[in-house]
Amino acid sequence: MALDTAPATDVEIVDERRPRDFSRLPWTSFVIITVLVVVAVFAPLIATHSPTEQSLPDKLKPPAWQEGGSTEHVLGTDMLGRDLFSRLVYGARVSLTVAMFALLSGGLIGLAIGIVAGYVGGRTDSVLMRVVDATLTFPTILIALLLAVSLGAGLRTIVLAITVIIWARFARVVRGEVLGVKTRDFVALARVHGCSDLRIMAIHIVPNVMNTFMVLLTLHIGFVIIVEASLSFLGAGIPPPTPSWGQMVADGRSHIASAWWLAALPGAAIMLVVLAFNLFGDWLRDWLDPRLRQV
Amino acid sequence: MRISIHLVLVGAMALLALVAGAGPATAQDKDTLVIALDTLGAMVMDPIADTRAPHAHYHAPIWDSLVGFDLEKGGIGPGVAEKWERSPDGKSWTFHLRKGLKFHNGDPVTAHDVKFSLERIMLPESISSGAAALRRAVASIEVLDDHTVRVYTKGVIPHFAASLSRAVFMEGSVMPKKYIEAVGTKGFREKPIGSGPWKFVRLVPGDRIEYEAVGTPHWRGTPQFKKLTLLLVPEQSTRIAMVRTGEASIVSIGPEAIKEAQAGGMKVVSVPGTMQAVYQFWGLYRPEVKGSPLTDIRVREALSLAVDRQQIIDHVMAKQARWPLPFTTYRYSIDVDIPRWEAWAKKALRYDPARARQLLAEAGHPNGFKMTFWNTALPGTPFMVQIGEALAGFWEKIGVKVDMKTVEWGVFDPMGRGEQKGLVGTASMYRTAGRPEPSPRYQTTLTSSGIQHLLGDPKECPAVCQEIDKVYEAAVSEKDDAKRAAAMNKMTELAANTWVVVPIIEGMGYWAVNPKRVGQFKPIPGRHEFGDVAERMPRPEQKPWN
Amino acid sequence: MQRFIVRRLLQSLVVLVVLALVIFALARVTGNPADLLLPEDATRDDREHLLKALGLDRPVHEQLARYLKGAVTGDLGTSIRYRKPAVEVFFERLPNTLALVGIALAGAVAVSIPLGLLAAVYRGTIIDRVSGMIAVLGIATPSFWLGIVLIYVFSIQLGWLPSARMGGPLHYVLPTITLGAFLVAGLMRLVRSSVLEVLDTEYVKLARIKGLSQTVVIWKHALRNALIPVVTLFGVLFALLVTGAIVTETVFAWPGVGRLTYEAVIFRDYPLLQAVILMKAIIVLGVNLCVDILYAYLDPRVRYA
Repeated sequence: MALDTAPATDVEIVDERRPRDFSRLPWTSFVIITVLVVVAVFAPLIATHSPTEQSLPDKLKPPAWQEGGSTEHVLGTDMLGRDLFSRLVYGARVSLTVAMFALLSGGLIGLAIGIVAGYVGGRTDSVLMRVVDATLTFPTILIALLLAVSLGAGLRTIVLAITVIIWARFARVVRGEVLGVKTRDFVALARVHGCSDLRIMAIHIVPNVMNTFMVLLTLHIGFVIIVEASLSFLGAGIPPPTPSWGQMVADGRSHIASAWWLAALPGAAIMLVVLAFNLFGDWLRDWLDPRLRQV
Repeated sequence: MRISIHLVLVGAMALLALVAGAGPATAQDKDTLVIALDTLGAMVMDPIADTRAPHAHYHAPIWDSLVGFDLEKGGIGPGVAEKWERSPDGKSWTFHLRKGLKFHNGDPVTAHDVKFSLERIMLPESISSGAAALRRAVASIEVLDDHTVRVYTKGVIPHFAASLSRAVFMEGSVMPKKYIEAVGTKGFREKPIGSGPWKFVRLVPGDRIEYEAVGTPHWRGTPQFKKLTLLLVPEQSTRIAMVRTGEASIVSIGPEAIKEAQAGGMKVVSVPGTMQAVYQFWGLYRPEVKGSPLTDIRVREALSLAVDRQQIIDHVMAKQARWPLPFTTYRYSIDVDIPRWEAWAKKALRYDPARARQLLAEAGHPNGFKMTFWNTALPGTPFMVQIGEALAGFWEKIGVKVDMKTVEWGVFDPMGRGEQKGLVGTASMYRTAGRPEPSPRYQTTLTSSGIQHLLGDPKECPAVCQEIDKVYEAAVSEKDDAKRAAAMNKMTELAANTWVVVPIIEGMGYWAVNPKRVGQFKPIPGRHEFGDVAERMPRPEQKPWN
Repeated sequence: MQRFIVRRLLQSLVVLVVLALVIFALARVTGNPADLLLPEDATRDDREHLLKALGLDRPVHEQLARYLKGAVTGDLGTSIRYRKPAVEVFFERLPNTLALVGIALAGAVAVSIPLGLLAAVYRGTIIDRVSGMIAVLGIATPSFWLGIVLIYVFSIQLGWLPSARMGGPLHYVLPTITLGAFLVAGLMRLVRSSVLEVLDTEYVKLARIKGLSQTVVIWKHALRNALIPVVTLFGVLFALLVTGAIVTETVFAWPGVGRLTYEAVIFRDYPLLQAVILMKAIIVLGVNLCVDILYAYLDPRVRYA
């Protein structure tokens, strides 16, 4: 539509009320997240051993700074003699991969459905929201368990399970945002100009819910990592020998008194990463638009 | 206003919680023996309503078995029946019961109760593990007098008496005829009575079962504790916490937790001969896997030689496991020449990677090959998964590429039935439970009519499959003891030489014990569960741990 | 008003029906319980026999018909493992979970409100940051890990608290902390922003000008606003806890419906699994419905949303 090339004010997302707050940048979070990404991407270069190579006689060695430890295995070994540091490093890869795939698929589906439901309204909205309700009522861990048990545990299953769990959350929040956005002037203007609904949704609505979407993404990374850990505890996580932090904590829980490093180190990694992403998400939300406090 | 309503709701729930939750706390007193387990099965107080292992945990205290245990060696011994004999034609068994036994309500234990019990176990709604086998075996039951019972079998079943022992199944549970006929099944399950050393007190669903000792001496052993409580605690680290704090006297653990338990000052009791971890190959006789390396017996032998069993025993099982005997053979097995097979096992199951590589090269695979391996753990023995991982590691070392698929038992088990679609041409972990008689397991695994039929099925039964079928028939129906023993040993030899089902280690049942709450006791070899041991556990001051 | 109630009721019913069908399908996809009950050396005949005894040999559509018919009359089948009506098994354990959830919720609220208030009043200072971090720790720790560590520290090492199982008031401490920890982060953040909003309004500024002491201002106005998000989320939080208690109940050997659900999955106990999920959904939908109706009653604008 020729008239679509109207002034750019349509797609502004700047909030006129408050200036951006640059003062309290979350440096710690930035650093942790960067380290995580670097470690995950360059895992083969950073790890000292193969994460799956067993050496039974070397099992359950403590970290280097404890008595009985050695610099050969800086963070000790697990119950099959595998190097813990290398498993942590490769585990970062696994956690990030799961989070990425799961969040993207679940998030995008939720985004799409939320926009359609919010914008179109009426019957469609009602039906879609009922489906969302039904999904939210279903016990989350149970969905993942059932899938793991019927499809076999593995990366694909976990991604599928998490997708099923989070799309509904995204959809609900995005829909709420869309309800607000669609009353704005530029949307009415676009309609008056005769733009199709699809075009309006894609070009005008989407950018304006992007803030919410980004915040939701970052806030859910922690959730995904924790869900993966809980599934491993229940025996439905990513199966061995692939190292995953959640599985490592689950495996190490029988040894808290005798080999604390098995569960404590991956547990600490999980906590740090989730903490970092949450603080980052909080900051992002404040930075983008403090009105998003409902998210 | 709306806020206060909600606050009231939350507050009300919290109040309700405190009131409801102030239930009876665990009796931590010295008179109660507390055992925490990871499963209590269906928690139904009726021997015909649950399967073997849970029965041995929580039914055994209340109900006696017709045939009992050899407390020293494991295997069978006198039970409610003091002695029994098989008729000359081999088709009937006469059991002579002890005199003077009483049920918890005072009724005497007679042959009528035994007949009633056996028939009850064979009822269609019974899901006890060996009910089907019993139905196949029993033709009729006759009461000769108050203390003598005769069972007629369909055909000759050399070790029928063993199947009535809790060492094998729980088919021999003696239940009270008059009582059950009076109150019906529902009444029986609500207020169960038996003739065992412990009486039923209470069952709290999902939480625990409480028993108390009968006041009089008992032939199984007179309980030294006034009460017995079985707790359901599914999480192992929690069980260890409970035994350390003294909330439990004894808890079940896996071998990986042994160090953990000892670190806390607990004693570890390992019951020998409770199971055998094995790996096996499926459907190798099928035409569609003809070209596979696994069909070559040299390859299979090589795979066994590549496994360092001693390392698995020392490191995966924390030294709490033993060198195995042949498949499904234990030191208390009947009809088997133990010394011969001990010697065989030392040599044939040794660690010899050089010879393994040699065999692989001879078979035409000097650079190894690819193989699919299903790693799984049956209920109660989660350490099988670690053993499977160790196996894969050993095979990788001699050049075999292992595609390991770790699956939950509930997913793997159905695959092994029917067409065995996903399993043909692959290997998997498996296990066999400790029983004094090897033949039932041979039937299941190696004969053509068995559910696993690893060597051949009724449609496709090559030479070795037919030989096994023949020898099996001889082993189970031969009346003459010497001939039967010979057949049994022949079957063991045939099975061992196929290298299709290979023992890895002989495992144990592991328990952590708080020495301040219970004294030193001796478990029954081959019997993981303590349902028949609780009455012989002493108090800590009676027999302190050394 | 009535139209609103009827509408919401119908919507909830639709959700339930959909759920019931989905569960029926899912449960059967996961495998056969008979295989898990049979011993290793069972024969083919044994298996058929067991299937017949459990009613699993009927074709699927017959099972579905029986299921739906039973659902309407309140009979959700007999648990394969416990040999009792599934609904009975569920209700035996339900009070235990409700007790746990109730106290966990109360505890989380009790901790979030002061934390959120502090963070809001001292906004931007170190107190704000630290409160935030404490709260986020709750979501950053996998609950099973938290539970196990708590048991190790407070039960084994210090001996202050019992390690597991349901019992007297002391038995509630660790499980409710484990269950409620992850709620604190979200709740606290909401309390904080609600309070912030109120602190900004003209009304409060006016009160301050009038000379009322800071404390009075805060307590009277801010606190009431702090409670609003808690109340709004009541239904959601309740649902979260009831459905999420699986891990906590397993770690602490709590005889509740969370563990029951997990076991039903592992043992493929279809009737029990179906019953448990349906009943949980009914409870959650029921609570949400009540909350919605209450709101509609109090705020007429909501009725036409």
